[in-house]
Amino acid sequence: MVVKKLVSVLLVCGLVQSGLPTKAALAAEHTDAASPPIADPMEPFNQAMFHFNLTLDEYLLRPVASGYAAVVPTGARQGVARFFQNLNVTPRVGNKLLQLELAGAGTELARFLINTTAGGLGFFDVADRWFGLEAGHADFGQTLAKYGVGSGPYLVLPFFGPSTVRDAVGLGVDGAMQPINYLLPTVPEQIAVRTGWLVGATVNARALNLELFESVDRFSLDLYGAVQDGYLQRREQVIRDAVDR
Amino acid sequence: MTLRPFAAILGGPVLVAAILSASASAADSPLHTVRTTIDRIVAVFESPEYRGPDRRTARIGRVGTIVRPLIDEREVARRTLGVHWRDRTEAQRAEFTDIFMRLVEQSYGETFDRQARKYLDTVQFLYDKETIDGDFAEVATRIFLPPQNKYFAINYRFHKVGGQWLVYDVVVENVSMVRNFRTQFYRIIGKSSYDDLVRQLRAKLERLATTRPAS
Repeated sequence: MVVKKLVSVLLVCGLVQSGLPTKAALAAEHTDAASPPIADPMEPFNQAMFHFNLTLDEYLLRPVASGYAAVVPTGARQGVARFFQNLNVTPRVGNKLLQLELAGAGTELARFLINTTAGGLGFFDVADRWFGLEAGHADFGQTLAKYGVGSGPYLVLPFFGPSTVRDAVGLGVDGAMQPINYLLPTVPEQIAVRTGWLVGATVNARALNLELFESVDRFSLDLYGAVQDGYLQRREQVIRDAVDR
Repeated sequence: MTLRPFAAILGGPVLVAAILSASASAADSPLHTVRTTIDRIVAVFESPEYRGPDRRTARIGRVGTIVRPLIDEREVARRTLGVHWRDRTEAQRAEFTDIFMRLVEQSYGETFDRQARKYLDTVQFLYDKETIDGDFAEVATRIFLPPQNKYFAINYRFHKVGGQWLVYDVVVENVSMVRNFRTQFYRIIGKSSYDDLVRQLRAKLERLATTRPAS
């Protein structure tokens, strides 16, 4: 019902594509040397958000992440990343179910139970190592895409970074799937916990990717375009994974 | 029964021909090209002649001589410039190919060198599969870094030119290098001009030559 409602809202917004990408279209990259430039009708807003995020990164996130990386070894940072990933189980299970991936939902649930107990709250991925249950991915933007909703325009969100209109809607729905919203009694408490979670996960992820950020910055001629295209290409693959399943 | 003598007579040479052709095609296959090239690059990094930070330029130069003959530089440049390639003169195309490939060599050489120095002793190269579709092919590989317990997907896109498979794009973690640069270049040309793109490319190369990468 929720999916149907959202699809109809997005239909009204003109975001639903006429069809899913075909295999032939995906293979066209071999021969298509002249694909059109990316449509970016919200570029003035996106540029402003991009520069806001860059400034935030330069003066706050990168210094904090560099300091954190200097005292916390890589292995521990990876453990922290796994802990946050494990905590984020409800949107993954919910979206696997919405995508009618029952086996995938079961795997996610089993991984959560195993890693939360035997894996020390998710710091260690013993579900993969001992039982061969590999980490999966599912989000609501992907679910919408599976039901035929197009990406809509490119959109840069403050704090969260590159996205699309569809994926921004997905981000909101995934956030609403967090049980923390319903377990904590007051809104200020929910906001405090969610903010702490976001800041912790972001600083940790940034500390794991210090070199990557620097490389993109060093070798690109147009950083906005490089980040936009990198995000959209990666996202296309995530969507293809769900659609092809 | 009566066919058996014929089969015996014909079977031998046919079998030999089949084996020869199979081994020849394996040697010419894009996957084989990727594997042997990476083996040769690893040998450079392991060689005492090229070890140490002071041998960095020589090391990257040696790797360049191994990799360059396998890349269709003009095709990389043509695809990267996309629709704007058509409007260029032959001299402009040659100039663009030269400066753009210098940027590619610098960026990939520097990044690879930094990673290789850190992880060469533990890294594992996995050659997953090759997909051939007429004169086009894609080789899917992964790099496994045990210290990070992480796989990185790197695909190589080839096309056949004069019977030889040559690379025209590299896709790292689902991001095509050609498409990423094309997006940037379209934006620059769209906002200013092709001449400005060339000016920016030259300025970038100068900056890279005069600034040190992070260690």
